[in-house]
Amino acid sequence: MNYNKLVYLNQKRNLNLRKEDLILIYNYYKKLRRTPTNLEIEIIAQNWSEHCKHRIFNAEIKYKENKKEKIINSLFNTFIKKTTEKIITKKQDFVINPFIDNAGFIKINNKYSICAKVETHNHPSAIEPYGGAATGIGGVIRDILGAGCGAKPIGNINALCFGNIELKKVNEDIIHPRKIMRGVVAGIRDYGNKMGIPTVAGAIIFSNDYNFNPLVFCGSIGIIENKKINKEIKEGLKIIVAGNRTGRDGLKGAIFASKSLTTKSLSDDKKAVQIPNPILEKQLLEFILEAKKENLICYITDCGAGGLSSAICEMIYNFGAVIYLDKVHLLEENMLAWEIFLSETQERMVLAVNEKDINKLKKIARIYDVEISEIGYINDSQKIKIYFKNKLECDLDLDFLNSPVQKKLKCTISKKAKKREKNNNLLFENFNLKRILNKVLSNLNICSKRPIISEYDFEVQGNTLIKPVMSDEQDVPADGVVLRISDVEKYLAIGLSLLPEYGKIECEKMAKSSVDEVVRQLVVVGANPEKIALLDNFCCGNINREKELKKLILTVKGISEAAEIFNLPFISGKDSFYNYYVLKNGREKNIPLTLLITGLGIIEKKKEITTNYIKKSDSLICIVGFTNDELGGSIVNSVLKFQSDNVPDVDFELSKKIYESIYKCIRKNLILSAHDISEGGFIIALLEMLFSMRAGCEINLDNLPCKKNISNFSKLFSESNSRILLEIKKSKILKVKKIFINLPFAIIGKTTNKHKNIIIKDGEKILLNEEIRELKNIWEKRLKQLY
Amino acid sequence: MGKKIKAIILKFPGTNNDVETARALKIVGAEPDILPVSLLSKKIILNYSLLVLAGGFSYGDYVYAGKLAALELKKKLNDTIFEFAEKDRFILGICNGFQILLELNMLPEGFLAQNKNKHFICQWCKLKINQINNFFTKYFPDEIELPVAHFEGKFISKNNNAEKYVNNGSAFILYKEDINGSEKNIAGLCDKNKKIFGLMPHPERFIYKEEYHSPDIYKKKFGYGYYFFKALIDFLK
Repeated sequence: MNYNKLVYLNQKRNLNLRKEDLILIYNYYKKLRRTPTNLEIEIIAQNWSEHCKHRIFNAEIKYKENKKEKIINSLFNTFIKKTTEKIITKKQDFVINPFIDNAGFIKINNKYSICAKVETHNHPSAIEPYGGAATGIGGVIRDILGAGCGAKPIGNINALCFGNIELKKVNEDIIHPRKIMRGVVAGIRDYGNKMGIPTVAGAIIFSNDYNFNPLVFCGSIGIIENKKINKEIKEGLKIIVAGNRTGRDGLKGAIFASKSLTTKSLSDDKKAVQIPNPILEKQLLEFILEAKKENLICYITDCGAGGLSSAICEMIYNFGAVIYLDKVHLLEENMLAWEIFLSETQERMVLAVNEKDINKLKKIARIYDVEISEIGYINDSQKIKIYFKNKLECDLDLDFLNSPVQKKLKCTISKKAKKREKNNNLLFENFNLKRILNKVLSNLNICSKRPIISEYDFEVQGNTLIKPVMSDEQDVPADGVVLRISDVEKYLAIGLSLLPEYGKIECEKMAKSSVDEVVRQLVVVGANPEKIALLDNFCCGNINREKELKKLILTVKGISEAAEIFNLPFISGKDSFYNYYVLKNGREKNIPLTLLITGLGIIEKKKEITTNYIKKSDSLICIVGFTNDELGGSIVNSVLKFQSDNVPDVDFELSKKIYESIYKCIRKNLILSAHDISEGGFIIALLEMLFSMRAGCEINLDNLPCKKNISNFSKLFSESNSRILLEIKKSKILKVKKIFINLPFAIIGKTTNKHKNIIIKDGEKILLNEEIRELKNIWEKRLKQLY
Repeated sequence: MGKKIKAIILKFPGTNNDVETARALKIVGAEPDILPVSLLSKKIILNYSLLVLAGGFSYGDYVYAGKLAALELKKKLNDTIFEFAEKDRFILGICNGFQILLELNMLPEGFLAQNKNKHFICQWCKLKINQINNFFTKYFPDEIELPVAHFEGKFISKNNNAEKYVNNGSAFILYKEDINGSEKNIAGLCDKNKKIFGLMPHPERFIYKEEYHSPDIYKKKFGYGYYFFKALIDFLK
């Protein structure tokens, strides 16, 4: 074994292994006195890729903060896992198997649990938007099918970050953001709709930051019987591949995902994108659910990035297996051993079953027209042996395969930069509210997303109670969506938060704000604040740069702190690094650190499901929570382009009390509508409620709870956290006031049937008097024109 | 209470509204079974008095909607499919099922083309029940609302017969407003014997009032979809 040959192999086969890895491999084979086969080296590279082993998240990081040096031994263990473990001990019987399976579970009742997973498919979507997004959804659905002994997907979610869709022209070899948007939406639509899984929740952001590297977060939520959660590998089980025929598509997707995009990606990396076939996956789903019902599945896992290699190595972890590659059902002839084992052909699952059950399994497979093949068996040799054409092509020790070198990273967190709070007084005191509102309502990040939402079948399965759009004209965007859990009287609320603009200024506050926003979204639709679980997904730029790593550390610390105070466990998460593009001139275009927090909450009773649109005239409009001068990273900031670095912060103790009180009001049936205040601030939240067009409204700002005197501009547009707008019947206001005693709460106005206007006053001064319909038209037509 | 009406819901590869359709039938008192099409035979199907072709994307709708499923039904059942509704039996096709029934020429002739806006449409829409000679009339007010979710829902009649279908009552349900470009706003059709029904909207998605987009203003005890299935089952009894 020659070290230089290994270096050459690494380059030639595009393995993306680092020097430390190569030395480890060299030493391993030196001991064995032989050279690696092509199959072996590919298996090692796949297993050790960032995409599969999360080596950044598990790295040892030496980091300096305020001149003190600390060592973080794995960001994941320190901030995510430990926090969750602490919370689980406090909340027993709520979270099951976090971080072990494809997805963690939360218990709904004695019969069922819910699981969820969110992944990203950024690079594939950048070069092949339709296929990239469709296979992103297809892949995450298989994660759910592979959770426990096979969970049933009941809802899909997505969060999309697109570039500027109005870009005049693109200079680099990239696809125009508008074309990417259309392709991605169509991909998500076709896969979800055709599989009959409702696409229920989503978030979309448009920004120049994503011109070169769009982000496509795809998620799926599943339900499973509690007794089918635990799965087991044992000696003697047969290994089955089910579904699509393995071909050469999508080779090395895992490695493609673990490096940057370049000007050559569009032409060279296409082979790493797979071909979607939702009908085949639907048949696979039926097959799996039926096999689960008949108790035929001992273990199941999905075939995603890394193909069979990843699925089988993960499955056999410290057991062992013998595999015969000739038995895999193939699409193409003359495939090489490594091609078969590494192929990322979609719509495949790997199962481990008892030998006696194979005939029954075959029968079900025939009913749903799913191809299956038995390709080997499990033993306890702690080795993976693979035969192809009667030759032993792989003989690797699992111990070696499962222990890549721990990455060592360094990072210094310097003192915070000075605030760029310029004198914005002139703007804040002398503004034309109508003019600014026109701009904000027609901003792509605020305007109605209905043209995209109605492409998705969000009603299939017949359980979507709070839909992404609600009310008489079906266009008031919901805070959280709510799914009915069939056969039990429980409901699942789902919320998402994505605030990359905040992170561009302060990552830690972005992280806290996102957690707070998700909890708020869930609480306002009626979720029990004690029964909420989170998912965390990170997308970073070039993580080899210290400044990108620093953002990641701060973000992870932020969500960990927030989760700990709110007592919220993380049930699953995923990272995606290297979201950057290398320009022709060699410069790197990094995306801003983008954190997606997904929240799942349980609503205990049907009558507690709460909506956010104005119901009637002659009711009171109230606000809970303090409005502070927090315009940093806000929508109005990016629309008017003034300078403010005051990113919204969270007072968690106060926030917690507010949410508990809201829940109390909901349980006592005191609230007509509740809406979370987020992007766009107070005025946008109020307008969204009024877009039900059932009443006009009169508001006075002088009552708004603020800690100190702030401008009307900030009152209207600041995005301070923990605030909720409420519509309350006059007859119930005393009871509500009692619940909010000692908390920032105020009646700020009322709805009326005398006119259909929004009137905003500051004392006697009228700041706005406009027809709601007119404002709604602006908000509604913006995306329609571009989509 | 008489005997329970037995209904069979066929499941093609890509059929995906079978579970909620079965649930709806059960709630109105029928006894539904879901049958993968690979197990379908003439003998099995004759045990049932209601055949349901549920929504979804049979065979991916890759050729065009309903085409391949219609061929499969002809191959497996021959004339049984055409004779099924002759005695005391009904056929119901929802969304993709409607597309299949049109492909089989079992309804007044026409076909469903891509929506006029070239987009998939998922929304609720107001519908009118055609009052001419219609057995749904006593179960509903004149105007109801149901969700639609389709790509190919623009009805185009053969030989410009749409108006005739409206006038003779075979277009039993109509969109109140033009949502997809259908001729005469036709949303559903039945055959002349009133035994075969096909419609684009999804009654199975509006069984309970809380499924409505503005649940606070919906006043009936159940969703309109409930009454739709109830009417069918009562008639079969």
